[in-house]
Amino acid sequence: MMEIATLLSVGVSNGCLYGLVGLGLVLVYNAQGIPNFAHGELFMATAFAAYVANVILGIPYALSFLIAIAFAAVLGMLVEFLAIRPISTNRALGRASTDVAVVLSTVGLMITIKGLARIPWGDSVRKLPGAFSTETVTIGSLVISTQRLLIIVVAAVLTVCISLFFARTSLGKKMRATSQNITGAKLIGINTGHIYSATWGLAAVCGGIAGVLAAPIIFLHPDMGTRMLLKGFAAACLGGFGSVSGVFVGGILMGIVEIFFGRYLATSMMDIFAPIIIIVVLLFRPQGLFGARRAVRV
Amino acid sequence: MLSALRNNILPLFFIAIFAISFTTDAYSQYLINLMLVYVVVAQGLNLILGFAGMFAFAHGAFMAIGAYVSALLMNELGLPYAVALPMAGLSAAAVGCVIGIPAIRVSGLYLAMVTMGISEIVQWVLRHWKPVTGGTDGIGVASPSFFGFEFSDDFQSFHIIFVVCAVMTILAQFVVRSRLGRAFVAIREGEIAAQSSGINVARTKVFAFAISAFYAGIGGSLFSLTQHYINPENFNLYQMIMQFCMVIVGGSASLVGPFIGAAILTWLPELLRSAQAFQEIGFGLLLIVFVIFMPRGLAGFLIDRNILPRERFSRAPRVEPEQRAAPPVTVERT
Repeated sequence: MMEIATLLSVGVSNGCLYGLVGLGLVLVYNAQGIPNFAHGELFMATAFAAYVANVILGIPYALSFLIAIAFAAVLGMLVEFLAIRPISTNRALGRASTDVAVVLSTVGLMITIKGLARIPWGDSVRKLPGAFSTETVTIGSLVISTQRLLIIVVAAVLTVCISLFFARTSLGKKMRATSQNITGAKLIGINTGHIYSATWGLAAVCGGIAGVLAAPIIFLHPDMGTRMLLKGFAAACLGGFGSVSGVFVGGILMGIVEIFFGRYLATSMMDIFAPIIIIVVLLFRPQGLFGARRAVRV
Repeated sequence: MLSALRNNILPLFFIAIFAISFTTDAYSQYLINLMLVYVVVAQGLNLILGFAGMFAFAHGAFMAIGAYVSALLMNELGLPYAVALPMAGLSAAAVGCVIGIPAIRVSGLYLAMVTMGISEIVQWVLRHWKPVTGGTDGIGVASPSFFGFEFSDDFQSFHIIFVVCAVMTILAQFVVRSRLGRAFVAIREGEIAAQSSGINVARTKVFAFAISAFYAGIGGSLFSLTQHYINPENFNLYQMIMQFCMVIVGGSASLVGPFIGAAILTWLPELLRSAQAFQEIGFGLLLIVFVIFMPRGLAGFLIDRNILPRERFSRAPRVEPEQRAAPPVTVERT
């Protein structure tokens, strides 16, 4: 019984990370209709930014967290400006060729960022200390690591914040308008270029927060992003690329299933879940688990 | 004279490669072999990505299937390479069909993710099905032999690779200039339009999957000959990105493109071989720069400058504008 509760806490916190990564993918997908293969690398780069700030420069944890998030936002917007915008605004390409070109550009970014990270960090693994000095808390007889608790809390808060952002704020409404109908959005005077910048920045922040939160649990390594990318995709597929909360539910579901199969069947099973979920969901239920009602695109 | 040269660029290329092969040392012979192998793989990827405009992120996996099938058939069952090679292509094509039939239900961008998931699953199977694939240790590849003559070193296996590459290139030209090739391009340019001109879109897409997987399977089998030893690492994400680079840098939707791409991207990693980081940065930047500034690749650039001939989509010989008979002029008098 105790073991199940512990596994559940691990599964839910892993799932929240997948949900955060998946949310960034969903944002870009809804804005531009492409899967962002460089998203895992934004996750990795932000985790390393936090490592530089906290461990190498000795800045306090909370401040280095903020620095890393700012770094993620800038990196996301920079990537959009340098590698995505020149293609999506190129009128010489047809619609279909533009999509192919943009996706291949994100693939190129993915491996470039990974290569850049390999120059200073090499192939050794590093560890970022957690947010709290105490490793675990005991609730009743259940022992949870403080970092995992933090992940769950941050994910819950972010779900609410981002849902409110899209429902209430002007920028969020503009983003929704742009994803629904780009010509219409331009007609009513929305600067869609700024919207794409903001979308990529926000997506990178989601991935980046996941990166900084995950860094104390999984080790820092230039290849850490690619595995996370597939799990984020799986969460987004389960959630149906639609609502913010759907992605988190999808992610948590995957985290729980994965950890139980990994524990009771074979550890090697943990890595095969994400691709299986992606394939099964996209082939047989492309609208996701909750897709019967067409969710509002965010 | 020049236009004769231009229109026969591929035969001339093969003659040149054959001539060079008499003067090579072991290392440059290995690189030439590797380049010809990648020409086969890139031709296949180009058919689906360049001509048919479909996302295929599973080509590393198809290549792995071809390599492992041919190696296992030779090692375990002692079959000759002349049987193992077509079996490698056919088994990759069969897997391509099995994947392709459900995968065509999802549209373009979902297809990228589905095929990427498939390549991840194939990687996982190769790593964990230890009794057959040897896990991460990989397996050795026996040297092929024909009529008692063994093709063991790079100079000897060059002859196999050269012939297969030439045959596969002719086959690719045949496909592109057939009804099927025109259907690929029609689907790329607009599925609804293609459908309304009588093209069976679903069937054509499955064909695209199967044919390009066949190429990757054959390429994988030839690849195992050049390496003498294969493991799952040979067919990972990095391999796939290298193939994307070949198609995009060389020129998508061009038969000459894969030759240019494979030539450049076989030599480049050798120059950058000192560090994995620089290889990754080099490939990534190359891919980004080309999709931004030269989306039709070097072949497209050369075609625009009339150095390479335009791609033909029919078998009828092209009539040059100056050779075309002037239409009879009739002036109507009233």
